[in-house]
Amino acid sequence: MALKAEHGEAATVVAGGTFVGIMVNQRLMAPAAFLSLRDVPGLAYVRANEELRLGAMTTHRTVELSPEVCEGWPALASAFAVVASPRVRNQATVGGVLADADHASDPPSMLLALGARAVARSVRGEREIPIEDLILDFYSTSLEHDELLVEVRVPGGPHGAVYRKFRSRSHEDRPAVGVAACRRQGELRVVVGAVAGRPQWFPALCDPSRDPAEVGRAYADAVEPISDVSGSASYRRRVIAVEVRRALVDLA
Amino acid sequence: MTDPRVTGRARYAEDLEAEGMLHARIVRSPYPHARVTGLDASQVPEGCVVLLPEDVRDLGRYGVQIRDQSVLAGRPRHVGDPVAAVAAGSARAAEEAAASLFVDYEELPAVPDVLQAVQPGAPLVHEGHELASTGAAYFGLRPQQGTNVCHRFRIRDGDVAGGFEQAEAVVDETFRVAGAHHAAMEPHACLARWEQGRLEVQTGTQTPFNLREELAGIFGLEPERVRVVCRPMGGSFGAKTFLRTEAIAAALARKAGRPVKLVLPRDEEWQTLNRHPAVVRVKLGARADGTFTAAQIECYADTGAYADSGPGVAQKMGFAAPGPYRIPNVAVDAYCVYTNLPPNGAFRGYGQMQSTWARERAVDLLADRLGLDPLELRLKNLLREGDRYCTGEPMHDVHYAECLERAAEAIGWRDDRRGKGLSVILKGMQTPSRAAIAVEAGDDGTYVLRCATAEMGQGAIHAITLLAAELLGVEPDRVRFPAPDTDVVPFDTRTTSSRSTYMMGRALEAAVRDLQANGGRRGFGEVANAGGLDPDTGQGVASTHWHQAAAGAEVRVDEETGKLEVVRLHTAVYAGRVVNRPGAELQNEGSMIMGLGSALFEEVVFRDGQVVNPNLSDYAIPSFADLPERMTHELLEGESGEIHGLGETALPPVPPAIGNAVASLGLELFDLPMTPERVTEAIERRVGVKA
Repeated sequence: MALKAEHGEAATVVAGGTFVGIMVNQRLMAPAAFLSLRDVPGLAYVRANEELRLGAMTTHRTVELSPEVCEGWPALASAFAVVASPRVRNQATVGGVLADADHASDPPSMLLALGARAVARSVRGEREIPIEDLILDFYSTSLEHDELLVEVRVPGGPHGAVYRKFRSRSHEDRPAVGVAACRRQGELRVVVGAVAGRPQWFPALCDPSRDPAEVGRAYADAVEPISDVSGSASYRRRVIAVEVRRALVDLA
Repeated sequence: MTDPRVTGRARYAEDLEAEGMLHARIVRSPYPHARVTGLDASQVPEGCVVLLPEDVRDLGRYGVQIRDQSVLAGRPRHVGDPVAAVAAGSARAAEEAAASLFVDYEELPAVPDVLQAVQPGAPLVHEGHELASTGAAYFGLRPQQGTNVCHRFRIRDGDVAGGFEQAEAVVDETFRVAGAHHAAMEPHACLARWEQGRLEVQTGTQTPFNLREELAGIFGLEPERVRVVCRPMGGSFGAKTFLRTEAIAAALARKAGRPVKLVLPRDEEWQTLNRHPAVVRVKLGARADGTFTAAQIECYADTGAYADSGPGVAQKMGFAAPGPYRIPNVAVDAYCVYTNLPPNGAFRGYGQMQSTWARERAVDLLADRLGLDPLELRLKNLLREGDRYCTGEPMHDVHYAECLERAAEAIGWRDDRRGKGLSVILKGMQTPSRAAIAVEAGDDGTYVLRCATAEMGQGAIHAITLLAAELLGVEPDRVRFPAPDTDVVPFDTRTTSSRSTYMMGRALEAAVRDLQANGGRRGFGEVANAGGLDPDTGQGVASTHWHQAAAGAEVRVDEETGKLEVVRLHTAVYAGRVVNRPGAELQNEGSMIMGLGSALFEEVVFRDGQVVNPNLSDYAIPSFADLPERMTHELLEGESGEIHGLGETALPPVPPAIGNAVASLGLELFDLPMTPERVTEAIERRVGVKA
């Protein structure tokens, strides 16, 4: 924490290195210093009680295979299980995938739909940030320069959830559209990922009594999708309508 | 003996070290077409060696078919064209030095598209076309001066207009194939040094003798003053052919007076060489009973800013375009066209995937028009033993029908055609072609093979070692096959076009006979295949033996998202005689997987001449999870025992088999790759579903 407070933005935090590694290799990032969390003890854990607590250095693979997560939060396990390949999932971490705020990742949308909060710690103390307030835009979060993301908390209790990843290219590709949906005590959350700078959630459209196809069309209209090598904006709109509907049908 | 590639002991060019070695970095143009108006090297740190245009002014131009390249470009013609280079004590220092060199440019009009480039009045990428005199300029080149066409190849056989008059049904469609990237695991890497006026280059290359010839020409040396040592390659797929990075490393080494190593960062791979994007127009006519009457085909191969082997690629795209069919009247026009994109060159399939996609889709469209079964239509028209191809050459050892029948059977074509597709191909081999090998006996019962066949993971060394052991009557572990070194091995055309086992195998037989006839110490064998085509009529011998294959595919389509799923894929490849079965099977599987990538999603995407996806995150290649539910293949053997090359034969039939399977659902696709987005467009276009 002291190092983070001292170096702030000048030091790039490295967890699993799957994101920072690509950015450095592509010369999109040339940090003067790295702050590696690899040998920091006590940041890799899965604790499941009333709520699920995941240490920031817990790998995707650990979450995917954790019996507690598979039992209590199976949709979350599945959202981590569809990321890239096992080689990547053995490196990539829970904290990293949130803190890098890459728009084309799978887990953030699912965490948002589940109502998860990130725990940010600094020399000043600790605070909880709901995922919807954490990721602001492409590669941009509300973390302060002296803060480190140390834990993710996912509410427990009875709920139904589903994650659907739509890939337009290779199976190991990032999503063209990712849809996470969660129903908890009559409340519905639908979150669409990989289509804009941050996970797309429109509470006003999430009426659990509405026909799934209608919700799908409403989301397709509400989102302003990006165009890139995975698909054009108009194609993404088409897929959003279909995949949101399918997610809600899966959920029912 | 454990393969050093498995144990990690293989030393690739990237791993080489030399005393006093410097690391190089290239400074590249950010514009697709520009003129360098100023270079400021004053901020480059002390101790770095900088290569500027004035340092290469005395050097010759190069280019294996058209002499259109200089070691550094004063007028860069594509994004990534080298304009300067630096060398420093470490790779990181070289990167920093490159970033501290400032270049001023004046932008020039650029032409990013092949069809724009052939329009009259299009900006010229090169004002004139100077033919190369190298061994790779072996065919009659027909550059069209004053245009962007650096080679035009034609086939003129029969009376095409008359043939279309006899046709009851005619299909005339235009197809597009996107650029693709080789994505070899190992990037381009080389180490260059000078000793007493002699240049030595260690590099991963499929073409050691072509490279030696080019370097000798650039530096004004006798070829014997240049030594090229081939390192094993971590994949190539055509990317490591001819001269790539070696001249810059050699020029830096000359200036520095020290060895220089140059390893390309991954993103620069996409600026160095890709596969030709192409536009292919096919007009095909048949009588009501399905008998083909005429074919007229135009191919436009986008070779990017420099010709490289593009003229050869365009020619093969053209002469393979009519396919393995009896067509009495054929006209083909193939154009190799400059644009302001990064250079395109050899890529597994060598142009023939592009024209095969177009023709095999057109055959299915024609079958639909005639109301015939696409399998029966093909069988009716396929070439048979002794038939004459449109180049005038008689076809021998012909097995197209057998390949096609096997593919059809594998996917249960005759049970139910819905969701299924077929394709059949021919593919030419480098012709004319020459190969030589020396066999030397040691005192301890071992033998050493000296030849230029390069190992890029394809297993040529293993296959040729097995052949040698069999001919010499010894165990394979008694045969050694050192890496090719132009100082030691006899001349060979190159390790390309699936020719090595076939050509080198025959040279080896001659060498072993020579050894046995002359005291058993040393034998030398050489074979030469004559042939070649008249570039204006396409008459002659296109290929001394043809690669033959067929594919069958079954697909499922998610009609809401357009996502394609290949459920079943089978290829049947004619091998003649299988030398090394596990190696041959891996070649088939590798070719099929590459074919899947080209079929479904691989595409180099350009915006304003810049590659948008120059990394393996944004450029997707197939993973094992992308394989069809069932993917199988077979190697057919023949009575003749003639070895047929198979390093790339199973690639070209894969995209059209999948495309035809999708078409059986009423979804007509014309462009590769068949992305879900393109499939949804076909869904919108569909007017009615076929029975």
